[in-house]
Amino acid sequence: MAEYTPFEMIAYTGSRVLEDNTIVFVGTGLPIIASIHAQLTHAPGLGIIFEAGPLSPILEMGMPLSVGDTRACRKACYLKGLSSVFELTQRGHSDYAFIGGAQIDMYGNVNSTFEGGTYTRAQTRFPGSGGAGAMAANCEKSIIIMALEPRRFVNKLDFLTSIGFGDGSEEYREKAGVMGSGPYRVITNEALFGFDEKTRRMVLLEAAKGRTAEDVQKKVSFELLISPDLKEMAEPTEKDLKLLREECDPDGYFLARKLK
Amino acid sequence: MKNQVSSLIKKVSNLTNGDGAIASQEPFSWWGASPEKARKAMVNKPKGLIDKRTTIKGAVDKYVKDGINIAIGGFVNTRPPVALVHEIIRHGAKDLTLSFQSNSICPELLAGAMMLYPDHLSIKRVELAWWGYEVIGIAPLFRYLCANGKIQLDDYTNYGMSARFKAAAMGIEFLPVRDHGGADMELVNRGVMVESPFSGKNCYLVPACYPDLGLLNVTAADMHGNCRIFGAHCTCPEIAIAAVNTIVTTEQIITNENIRTYPNLTEIPYTAVDAVIEQRYASYPGACYGFYWFDMEHILMFRSASDEFRKTGKMDALKKYYDEYIFGCETFDDFLGKLPYKTLKKIKDLDGGQPVILA
Repeated sequence: MAEYTPFEMIAYTGSRVLEDNTIVFVGTGLPIIASIHAQLTHAPGLGIIFEAGPLSPILEMGMPLSVGDTRACRKACYLKGLSSVFELTQRGHSDYAFIGGAQIDMYGNVNSTFEGGTYTRAQTRFPGSGGAGAMAANCEKSIIIMALEPRRFVNKLDFLTSIGFGDGSEEYREKAGVMGSGPYRVITNEALFGFDEKTRRMVLLEAAKGRTAEDVQKKVSFELLISPDLKEMAEPTEKDLKLLREECDPDGYFLARKLK
Repeated sequence: MKNQVSSLIKKVSNLTNGDGAIASQEPFSWWGASPEKARKAMVNKPKGLIDKRTTIKGAVDKYVKDGINIAIGGFVNTRPPVALVHEIIRHGAKDLTLSFQSNSICPELLAGAMMLYPDHLSIKRVELAWWGYEVIGIAPLFRYLCANGKIQLDDYTNYGMSARFKAAAMGIEFLPVRDHGGADMELVNRGVMVESPFSGKNCYLVPACYPDLGLLNVTAADMHGNCRIFGAHCTCPEIAIAAVNTIVTTEQIITNENIRTYPNLTEIPYTAVDAVIEQRYASYPGACYGFYWFDMEHILMFRSASDEFRKTGKMDALKKYYDEYIFGCETFDDFLGKLPYKTLKKIKDLDGGQPVILA
């Protein structure tokens, strides 16, 4: 089997999750790479929304380095501004939100605002919600990328930036006034998670080759549900890695980073 | 009002009643103009197709005052109004409120000026969704300001801030949105959850943002302020119309006849613009679609000076940047004159000739 990095595994898994003929609203970095890979393989009909304004561009100038990159506008079908793409999203045009974050809890709520201290004196302030809060609220399904570590898979978030299933109660999202159906997949390099329909809790769906459910649980602070049909994560082939390295992120901005 | 109707948010995270965030404590007041004041200012403006061309210094001297709310156009590294921000730093202004959805170099430059010369320039509060450099990293000065409680925040999503400018551009007080609810965002911004008068369902309202001054850089404009924007519009049209006064730099002045040939291409009408300045590279080191890409090296240089201050408290590198590139320049052209030709050529080439319609 081919050698690959944790980021390549995340991008490949993200690509697998995206279905053809859908629209994905992407955050910066691995979500963009995963979406380009999906377009080049099983999902040529996948459209991408970048929050600065473009819908379904052709990314022929190379990977946009950020969601505001002017290259993300290239040959778009429709190009206005933030209001327009977020309003299309409220109206149901965006199938997937594809976001990252600093912490996640068992109901798929995500923190990207601060860690440690208090809101008014944050030890580590992150840039903030940006589009993530609106994407998690109103894209139909949320896909979240997170590093598999106990300090990230937490019992309680320091701050809830992007809505998941809240406290897990059935009426939570309705009371919040949001439109999307909520968290769908959580992607790490060692495990793929989904959510239980009844309890809305995070479920381990797939573990990386050689990892058991117990290995994954050790890296998660809350109690995981384990799918009765637990699978092994598919690995990228040589062809996938060539696409990722040569077509999706040829300069290695995101894939060549070292995991801290 | 804040707690009459609620989502179930208070049960979920470690945040306790907003942790003393301004939004959870103070009764509502407009952080810029009120809708009435903004309307009156608009009604009282002369509406003729006059020549609004001026200098950046002339426009900033006229419109920048202590205590005003300044909206920053663009989105992160795309079309930030850097030339205008340089002049505001030279001009100085205290107790500013900044409003934007996502930005990078502009609020960081203003924050750095506040660190160096707090009696000359200061930021009191910020209405925002996101403050950082994306691929280049977090914004060190924003992190510093937050860790030390030096600014008040009113914290929304990107759509929330866009809807707030849009509400003001519509001349109304608020807009209902489908986000913030069920997240701690509810507790740290000044929006409120209400019951819809129609369905009875929970519905989040964000207050309009009527900035006193909007700062924009656009692709092309005529001398009256009719603006074309190619690439992402970001929320520039909304900000221009929302703000009491708007200063526009443009990469290129085009004729009014040209504007009138393709009126559908006008994204901002002349009535929303008070001052127009033709300024090449006005977003540098940010990008302007059709003209130049962002200059990662220059941003990294400023960012590393900012990060050194955040980590060590040492201001030498930061001061050197401001002395060299801002206070050591009278105009933005002086600043551009300090950049090697190779840099300007490189970022122009990296834009890749994105198509714009100028004629």
